[in-house]
Amino acid sequence: MKPSTVLIVDDSRVSRMLTRQHIQVRHADWVVEEAANGDEAIAKAKGLQPDLVLLDVNMPGMNGVDAAAALRAMLPNAHISLLTANVQAATRQRAEEIGVGFMEKPITAERIAQLIAPLEA
Amino acid sequence: MKSSVESLPLLQGVIDCIDVGTLVLDANERVVLWNRWMDQHSGVMGAETLERSFCDLFPEQRGKRLEAAIGQALRSNLPSLLSQTLNRWPLPLYANKSAAEKGERMQQQITVTPLNLGSNERYCLIQVSDVTAAVQRENLLREQAVALRSQTLLDDLTGVANRRHFDMAIDRETRRSRRMGTPLSLMMLDIDYFKAYNDHYGHQQGDACLEAVASALSTMQQRPADLFARYGGEEFAVILPDTPADAAVMMANAMCRKVRDLRIPHQASRTDERIVTISIGVASSDSSNAGEVYDLINAADRALYQAKACGRNRVHSQ
Amino acid sequence: MVRLTELEHDALVELFNIGVGQAASAMSEIVNETVTMSVPAISFLTRASAAKLLASRSGGNGRLCGISQHYSGAFETEAILMFPEEKSQEIVRLMVGEAMPLAELSAMEQEAMSEIGNILLNSCVGSLANLLGHELHGSLPDYHVGYSEQILAQAGSGETAVLMLHIEFVIERQQIAGDVAFIMDMTALHDLKQHVAGFLERSIGGAHP
Repeated sequence: MKPSTVLIVDDSRVSRMLTRQHIQVRHADWVVEEAANGDEAIAKAKGLQPDLVLLDVNMPGMNGVDAAAALRAMLPNAHISLLTANVQAATRQRAEEIGVGFMEKPITAERIAQLIAPLEA
Repeated sequence: MKSSVESLPLLQGVIDCIDVGTLVLDANERVVLWNRWMDQHSGVMGAETLERSFCDLFPEQRGKRLEAAIGQALRSNLPSLLSQTLNRWPLPLYANKSAAEKGERMQQQITVTPLNLGSNERYCLIQVSDVTAAVQRENLLREQAVALRSQTLLDDLTGVANRRHFDMAIDRETRRSRRMGTPLSLMMLDIDYFKAYNDHYGHQQGDACLEAVASALSTMQQRPADLFARYGGEEFAVILPDTPADAAVMMANAMCRKVRDLRIPHQASRTDERIVTISIGVASSDSSNAGEVYDLINAADRALYQAKACGRNRVHSQ
Repeated sequence: MVRLTELEHDALVELFNIGVGQAASAMSEIVNETVTMSVPAISFLTRASAAKLLASRSGGNGRLCGISQHYSGAFETEAILMFPEEKSQEIVRLMVGEAMPLAELSAMEQEAMSEIGNILLNSCVGSLANLLGHELHGSLPDYHVGYSEQILAQAGSGETAVLMLHIEFVIERQQIAGDVAFIMDMTALHDLKQHVAGFLERSIGGAHP
């Protein structure tokens, strides 16, 4: 199986480290990159062309939903998922409209497992 | 307390007498206690509820705040409050048979509290209070407050008599002085350069200044019939029945002095000392020149205007 | 004052953001409106500085509405959610969807405010407790009105530290700012730091780049 490339977008350093940890524990050979905000994510994604992007919704500057929409346009084949503790019908709907996934925080091993499953198939 | 064996019937008796709906769920959300209040107000008897799960008994609560609160009590050991304002009539409970027939649920306040008995036994205590009466009282109070507001005789900000009160009082006193042949004096006063004060210090402090001046001056009136009132924005009026002109002027001078003595700083004032000052116009009527209400007010106003024209921080009488 | 490392500070901010996010989710259920809440910043202050900071930020008449709950167990703290008095009325009216002319918060509205405090504080503390792996026991909410020094004096006058969270609350496109103060004594503060360090150790395994 070819190693995948993942981009983690979250303004919280601890959150990024946690997510990275959960992924690398299962796939030490995958390439995992980080971005602290929407603009950085878009800039990095251009060169990186990740297979999977995980975005926190609640970020200063460009919020996760808008960043996800931009990335979806840039990377039509990537798996993109929003992460948030604030699970609301409105956000779920937006995610569907943009064509991205949606996962509840806090970040746990099980939840990350679910998110990377499509890449392992 | 008596020994545990004897006290159990006592406790059961108490639980069934209290005026609060009481139910207890075990760690699996099954009913283990359901008191008489619940029997009476839900129409469901305790015996039918035992061992049934909460969601079974109240299916419409699925996914709602009450279910979440129960979860939080059992899993996180934290209590919750459900106010009736945000959770209207959550449970199917009725004040009485007639309400039940009409489908009119009671207003409920609910608390959910974790109960820990021993190391692995956690329960959830749910208490329901009927707050219908409280809500009704509240609505009534609200209506009364609105009605009162239109009848009040006191100025909101300063607490002294308001314009409404003044208008009624000056009318009454003018007629009385005419009938009795007694002198009546009226003062109109305002705070010098008040607009500049507001511009310089801000409106919040402007309000505080008004309050301070009103407070200092309103306590100076000697007699019960004397009235200190807020006439308009920064303008006040003082009605002095049975008071001739010279006594009124003496009092006006004392009031000017009192405000000066407060020494409230006023950087934007054009008087020498840069403190808050007032100007006062005094007018009086007696048996020889008793006129209408507006005559007296106009005269006092003209006198106030004169006081301002002559440099402020002074008294002028007609 | 106990100092946290940058990573420990970040972990706490994230934990509280998760907590208020869940609270926002619960509240949006209640009002059927979009509600978002976030914790942009946290700080550690003495009680006196906390009172000053709150006073300096409040407009209006300087009076605050505070909802407090006491927690004990893994660590002990008095948690207080505070909004300027006029803002509390706004929040309740937004949640209830009614426009009423009364200037003061009525008893029924105070109760609603207490519930909002109960949801928010339990969510924050619950999130903290879950992720740190230790349980806490909490009290039901108490409602207070007054100036910041009075409200913060709830927890007695001993030597205390205040962990202050600034909260951004958005409902129906209205943005309202509030604060949550966790009043702790030095022991509790120390316990908290230990728990956070423990959480980092367990989840990231002490591997900091």
